[in-house]
Order: sequence, then structure tokens, then C-alpha cells
Amino acid sequence: MYRTVVNRILLTKNTGGGRRCLLRFPDLRTAVTSSRFSTTTEPQTSPNRPLNPADSSTSSSSTSFQTSSGAGDIPRQERKNPPAEYQGEQARVLQASLRHVLRLGWSEEAMIAGAKEVGISPSIVGSFPRKEAALVEFFMDDCLQRLIDRIDSGEELQDLIPSQRIYKLVRFRLEMQAPYISKWPQALSIQAHPLNVSTSFKQRAMLVDEIWHAAGDEASGLDWYVKRTVLGGVYSTTEIYMLTDSSPEFRDTWLFLDNRVKDAFDLKKTIQEATYLAEAVGAGMGSSLQGFVGKVIQR
Amino acid sequence: MVGKVFSNVASNYDLMNDFMSGGLHRLWKDRLVSKLSPFPGMKHLDVAGGTGDVAFRILESVNSIKRRALQDPLNDDLQEETRIYVCDINPNMLDVGKNRALEKGLGEDKSLVWVQGDAEALSFEDNSMDGYTIAFGIRNVTHIEKVLSEAYRVLKWGGRFLCLELSHVDIPVFKELYDFYSFSVIPRLGEIVAGDRESYQYLVESIRRFPPQEKFASMIADAGFQKVEYENLVGGVVAIHSGLKI
Repeated sequence: MYRTVVNRILLTKNTGGGRRCLLRFPDLRTAVTSSRFSTTTEPQTSPNRPLNPADSSTSSSSTSFQTSSGAGDIPRQERKNPPAEYQGEQARVLQASLRHVLRLGWSEEAMIAGAKEVGISPSIVGSFPRKEAALVEFFMDDCLQRLIDRIDSGEELQDLIPSQRIYKLVRFRLEMQAPYISKWPQALSIQAHPLNVSTSFKQRAMLVDEIWHAAGDEASGLDWYVKRTVLGGVYSTTEIYMLTDSSPEFRDTWLFLDNRVKDAFDLKKTIQEATYLAEAVGAGMGSSLQGFVGKVIQR
Repeated sequence: MVGKVFSNVASNYDLMNDFMSGGLHRLWKDRLVSKLSPFPGMKHLDVAGGTGDVAFRILESVNSIKRRALQDPLNDDLQEETRIYVCDINPNMLDVGKNRALEKGLGEDKSLVWVQGDAEALSFEDNSMDGYTIAFGIRNVTHIEKVLSEAYRVLKWGGRFLCLELSHVDIPVFKELYDFYSFSVIPRLGEIVAGDRESYQYLVESIRRFPPQEKFASMIADAGFQKVEYENLVGGVVAIHSGLKI
């Protein structure tokens, strides 16, 4: 469901070679939180940059104006200028900042160092709406894009049974985080912050959706949700296990992942297992997933 | 008229600000500085910032212990290179600011530089500033477009423009209350506290003459800035416009 929505609204074909290009998400997020006043512009295309959708396609979100008599309330409006190149520059800064994350953590300092590296004034860091969260979200999007590229190009996935495909894909995705593992707990805590939790939840939902889709899923109805919840649980528990794993090349983590995937596929314990996993994952994953699963079970 | 107004109001400026906004102007300036996200080694220009409110906040933010604790160890001496230029057309306002700096113990701090100058014709070089702020000053200039293009000129690539200004309120009942407050209460307050009714009458009228939020945002965009946004505080009584030179 999510995937088709994304496909319809945001997905565009990259002209160079049939690669699917997942659009950067700033548009989705800002469409949810702000209303847009578009000047008539042709979206600029270039093979290396994300395509901006015509503003009218995302203006279906409504803005609610909330005012209170304090000084801190914030109805926000945003204007996009033709051409909106700032997103390209922002992406460059974030890309460079990733190289400083190991030393400085997922923080403003890393972003300032990244901006200096690219030759842009570090003032640009102030223009990111939630600073460190922007960096983490950029990384998550980047990893998702790499995963999609791998799925598109990997033929060997066809020969495997679904559980093995899922194992390979989750492992591939988690390996992308391996270089940052010393600072990953910080990234998780940033994602769990109330302001950021909705975006990180969406990103994880897309990730899980993508993996199931690649594994050849044709579920519908409640089963679709159950499958994604289960995979979300498997992914999150493995991610957290990886944080404290000190075995060479994370061997123990992959063993753990393998066991979890096998468990998930055991047909006798479907929904029961999902409950256990989701509860175990609750602390690491954040309250949003826990609340969602709780509602499903209570019904 | 503007020169005379501010020579008159300089000495009582801070006091009148407190009275008129009920102390809220401090929170508005805090919000402005937090949006700016200052960093050590920054070159910042605060225009029409005579009494130094915004400049002091920026300096405090850069020097704060919390920031120093988290700092990149390779850049320890950057703290020394921070420069905040406070530019104002009126020397009286600058004097008040310098005195306040002395009181705060910042008299010897070479990070603060007080410059007399015109916002429409800045004496700074192109691409020299990381940040530019103008708090409650832009409604008093003669040519807003010139100020905006000067701001664009002096900012570096990636630099941000931030403007805190009294703006238009559209909310039905609140608008009437605000109008009553502006036209009846404020000039009277000016008369009692500062002994100068006309200046404050002028101030209130200048707020009404200033373009509304959307129009001002489009003017900022016309000057070349991207990612132009604005944030209303207190329902539109005050708005913070921001733009990125990129």
C-alpha cells in the first residue's frame, strides 16, 4: 500500500539506464507539516540530482493553524524558489558530514565539519529543520537507495527461497551500518526522539516494505501488516543485537538474524511470535511501533 | 525622521521594548538566535542592532559551556576568530550598546565590533559573512530592496539571512485587540515612559505600512535568497523570515 502510494506520487524513472530512483523525502515531510505556496516553476531535472515534483502534486495536505498566546507557537509556511538547488547543496553537505560522524557523532559538529569540507558556510546547518535528525534521515534514505539498487541488480535473489532472500537483504542492509556502529546508538536515540519518530517510523516502514516486496510477497489484508510488523521486529532486534556484538565481522549477529528469520517463517507460531517480538523490540524501537502493535492485539 | 526617532528613543529603547511587548521581545530574540544556530569562528553581521541584544545572545551561544564541551577538538582556537559586527546608522544606539557590553564584562572582548553604517550601503566586503540578522530594523529603512540585496552581497555561500520584525495579524478577534493595543495603549505608554508620543505613534504606523509576511517573503526571494520561510510568533504580531544564499 505504502509502496504503491510512493510509486504513484513520488517515483520517477531516472533517464540514465532504467535505475529506479527513490526520491529524497524532504518533500513528503514538509508536505505533511506545512502548506506550500508554489510559484509556477518547471521542475529542473538533471541526471545527478533528485527530481522535485511539481508543487501541486503534494499540496493535497492540509495545514492546521494552531496559535496559542505564547511566544513559541509556530505555524510555518514555506516558499520554494525556482530553481530549488538548495536541496542539492544540502545533500552535498550531508554526504560530506557522514565522513565526520565516526569522530564527532551524529551531531551539529559533524555537520559543521562537513559543510567546511565542501566549502559552504556552516551557517547552512541552521537551515536543516531538525539538524542531527536531518543527517540520520539522510543516511537512512541513502542506505535504502543502495538496498534498492542491490535488489534491482541482484539476480541471485531469484534462486533463493523467501526466508533466505530476507536474510540476505536484512544482512546487506545492516552491513551498511557496520562502519558507524560505534555511534549508532546515538543515531537510534535521535530517531526515537518525539519530534523525529514519525519520520524514522516512515523510513523503517518503507525499508521493511521494500524487503518484503523483493522477497516476492503477495499478501493482502491483515497478513500484509503482520508480515511487515514481524520483519520490522526481526530487523530491529538484529540491529540492537549488533550494537553489542564484538565477534569478528559480526558473525554472531548474522547467526542471530538467521535464527530470527527461521522463527518468523515457522508457520505454527505466526501472530503469537509477532507479539513476543514486538514486545521485546518495544524499548529499542520506540513507542510508536509498540502502540501500533498493542492496538492490533487488543482488537 | 528615523534618525530623530532613534536619537530620542535610544536611552529608553530597552525599557520601552519591555513595556510594549510585556517582556516577550526577549523570547523573540532568543528564538531568532536559536534559529540562526551560531558556531565558533562565525563572522556575523547584526544590522540595526544598536543596543546589542541580538549580538550578546549570539556571543553567549557561541561561548556557552555546553557548546565548548561538545566541540570538535581540532578547532579549539576557532573560538578566537568569532566576529560579531554590530552595525547601526545611529551612533547613540551604538553607545548604549557599548555601555551594555561594558556592564556585561565584554568590553575587552574582541569578538564584538561596533560599526556605524547604513544598511542600504554596507561597508563590508562581498561574501564575507556567515550570518546576517536584522531585528526590528527593516521596517525603518527607506528602501527594503536595497537592504535585502546588500544582505545578499555580504553573505557567503551557504550564509543565512534572518529577519525578526513586527508583522501582520490576521486572526479575527485577536487582530482587533492588537490594533486597539497598538493605537491606543502604545503611544500613551511612550508619552508616560519616554516623554515622546510622536515617536511611538510613528513606530506603530510604520508597522502597519510594512509589507505582510507573504509579500516580504517574496521580496527576500527576489533578492536571490533560496529556501525562504517565515515563522509567525504570537499569531503574527512578530514574524521571523529566513533565507539561504545558495
